[in-house]
Amino acid sequence: MRIFRRGIALIAVSALAGVTLAACGQSKDSDTADSGAGLVVGTTDKVVSIDPAGAYDNGSMTVQTQVYQYLLNFPAGSTELTPDAASKCDFDTPTTYVCTIKPGLKFANGNDLTASDVAFSFKRIVDINDPNGPASLLGNMKSVEATDDSTVTFTLNAENDQTFGQILVTSAGPIVDEETYPADKVMDDAAAVKAQGFSGPYTIGKYTKGQIAQFKANADYDGAYNKAKTKEITLTTYSDANNLKLDVQNGKIDVAWRSLTPTDIASLGKSDKVKVHKGAGGELRYIVFNMKTMPGDNDAQKLAIRQAMASSLDREELSTQVYKGTYTPAYSAVPQGQTGAVESFKDKYGDKPDKAAAKKLLDDAGVKTPVDIKLQYNTDHYGSSSTEEYNMVKRQLEDSGLFTVDLQSTEYVTYSEERVKDAYPMFQLGWFPDFPDADNYVTPFFAPNNFLQSHYNFAGDDNPVPEMTALLKSEATDPDKDSRIATLKKIQDLVADQIPILPLLTGAQVAVGGTDVEGLEETLDPAFKFRFTSLSKS
Amino acid sequence: MASAEVLAPIDPPSAESPRRRGGLSPFARYMLVRIGLVIPMLWVLVTMVFLLMRVIGDPVTAAQGGRLNAEQIAERKAEAGLDRPLLTQYWEYISGLLRGDFGTTLTDHRSISGIIVEYGAATLELSFWALIVAFAVGIPLGRLAARYRDRLPDVLLRLFAIFIYAAPVFFVGLLLKLAFTPFGWPSSGRASTQTDLILDNVHPHTNIMIVDALLWGDPKIILEVLQYAVLPAFALGLLTGGVFLRLVRINLLQTLRMDYVTAARARGVSERRVVRKHAMRNALVPVVTVMGMQIALLLAGAVLTETTFEWKGIGYMLTQYLKARDFLAVQGIVTAIAVVVCVASVVIDAIIALVDPRVRF
Repeated sequence: MRIFRRGIALIAVSALAGVTLAACGQSKDSDTADSGAGLVVGTTDKVVSIDPAGAYDNGSMTVQTQVYQYLLNFPAGSTELTPDAASKCDFDTPTTYVCTIKPGLKFANGNDLTASDVAFSFKRIVDINDPNGPASLLGNMKSVEATDDSTVTFTLNAENDQTFGQILVTSAGPIVDEETYPADKVMDDAAAVKAQGFSGPYTIGKYTKGQIAQFKANADYDGAYNKAKTKEITLTTYSDANNLKLDVQNGKIDVAWRSLTPTDIASLGKSDKVKVHKGAGGELRYIVFNMKTMPGDNDAQKLAIRQAMASSLDREELSTQVYKGTYTPAYSAVPQGQTGAVESFKDKYGDKPDKAAAKKLLDDAGVKTPVDIKLQYNTDHYGSSSTEEYNMVKRQLEDSGLFTVDLQSTEYVTYSEERVKDAYPMFQLGWFPDFPDADNYVTPFFAPNNFLQSHYNFAGDDNPVPEMTALLKSEATDPDKDSRIATLKKIQDLVADQIPILPLLTGAQVAVGGTDVEGLEETLDPAFKFRFTSLSKS
Repeated sequence: MASAEVLAPIDPPSAESPRRRGGLSPFARYMLVRIGLVIPMLWVLVTMVFLLMRVIGDPVTAAQGGRLNAEQIAERKAEAGLDRPLLTQYWEYISGLLRGDFGTTLTDHRSISGIIVEYGAATLELSFWALIVAFAVGIPLGRLAARYRDRLPDVLLRLFAIFIYAAPVFFVGLLLKLAFTPFGWPSSGRASTQTDLILDNVHPHTNIMIVDALLWGDPKIILEVLQYAVLPAFALGLLTGGVFLRLVRINLLQTLRMDYVTAARARGVSERRVVRKHAMRNALVPVVTVMGMQIALLLAGAVLTETTFEWKGIGYMLTQYLKARDFLAVQGIVTAIAVVVCVASVVIDAIIALVDPRVRF
């Protein structure tokens, strides 16, 4: 018992000592300490890596957007390529793209930013080729070299690549300091923060991986964005969207940026403490058809089934009932708002289910009804709302009386492996664009060797679609804007005719901020860059 | 009734037993034996964790599969030493553990030892607050239930104990969040972002928020840190508090029936004094015993509590690495937790040996 008494006494003494320490300790003025949180942004996106060579994800891009410069960039509210670290970039020959670097640029550590740093930044991404990195974006870059201190020359594989300028603004484009970043491996976050090889509008002060990143305005920044309106901004990471919602609602953080659930967004929309800001959408949700294993005895029957499905869906209901308006109906592979986007599916199949038209398509092709469909979806990668979304798709298809749907859900690691092994006749996918150009919604999907690997125009002689290949080549290399837009329309119409994918919804960018937060709408533009420079508190 | 077994009469220490043999006191010998027994227990645990992590498949493919081709997977396996014979891997793992090196995570290349130290401090803090809640709830309410045996307060308190013991931690956590957050009570994290950044300036930085806050010395910050700890501490502490409540009640009732208590009453000692001075202390001994067992339960509960309240401790990290399928990180963290539970059980044995005269060395 004496031990108990001693224990209790020890705890009491410790507590007393603590309180005394607190009372007697020199009270610091928290506001003057090197510790300002400034404006606080919360997110559920994980930062995989600060080093651009090791990251190709939204969380890392949010950090990189603030701290690195790119050769070209999109200022807030613009989708026009604007010089950032470069003073100009253009084609010198059809396969050489040349950029001139602004004079006098420096990294936050005092090192000069030169053409050599730029060439180094792109080379190391390709050389390291990290599985989490953006090397795949530089597929058309044959080589890059600094021809002098202020000139960088990219040699391209394909001629007149109209998207190459846009590639320079993606996750592959941040410029790092050659003197501090290793050439052959990804730099860990602590070392990157210590190196301060940043020349963007902000630098990183304190950083705890997976928890907090403190951004401090870079006074020497000379780039495409406006000067930072808020000197210190802190990014704090959540694992649970519900906690993110509660904290923004209670004013514990100023902004909630990616990814609140549709229900939470709808609920916050009714609160007078916060304001929900929506910006141009870009994320696409769609169904992919495996041309080999989908139902149907021949190609004509398979096409009829795809077209009948397109005629049986009500995207508006999916948008309003499942996603509370945070996603809007998609009637093309290219979302509305992108230059050249049209609504080919709406023109061809209408915007409401048409049972008679769907039945006729199946009858004409001799398809026996109801058609048995096995439809795969995923929740751990595409969000828990996928369950509700695909249950509604099943109901809509079965309401036509033409289909019976067997829904199946699989965990993403298996899902991503199995879908390319012809295991799923039809399956859900989603797409978040790399850059704001219609090409990014068509070439990766429908060009030969596309990532869908669903036997549509894939691997040369596997169900080739030469018409699509020719249109895509023309669109990607056509310097004339009007004729390029006309080609893009033809591509979208062809997609609606052949339906290798069935677009369902396109997502708006949503950020929720306190009523005193300004600048959110300015940065929620089709460039998909969440720029802290635009944010301020009134 | 684990407590009954613990309380089973043990032979009293023999007056003739030698105080010292070979220069060691009986207590020291007792502890040496206990520690000696822990070593094979730890070895079995570590070996089981190592083998289980291999049985479920290749960690590199699990973590990076789908994004790497076969050649890249082979390269990464070689980097992590996973292409070597199992026995070689086992030896390297065990020898690493002996050096305090738990290896490196596969997904973000961090030192697992560093993660354990950094995030373990946060879990230690949460467990400390939870134990305080467990004592604060379990002991007085258990005493109250015993006092009103078989009457309404007793029935209600027993039901309450069953509820808080049986309810899943995340469910209690969710209820607490729903109840308190509308009033602005903080429901996630260990402090506000501002405070987090301020306390980062404290040297030495312990990552135990309350210690850092005390070292910083700003009463506002100390209060804030305490405020943030309330909901997670209750969510986790109530779980153990329910066990303590029932344990204190039953032990107090048993103790109050013992002869020495009857003798005290016969001498005219007031009932209040009988309970407080004579019965209560003995009734608390099993609580210490059970506390040792509850540490494992607390750590398991911490995984759910930390996830529910964004309390970034070792349990939170365990879930993050499980989600990322980083089984090398999981292996390291689970091993660390197993070591903590083993060491804690030895410490509790030592305390019991000291406080309970019935334990013979």
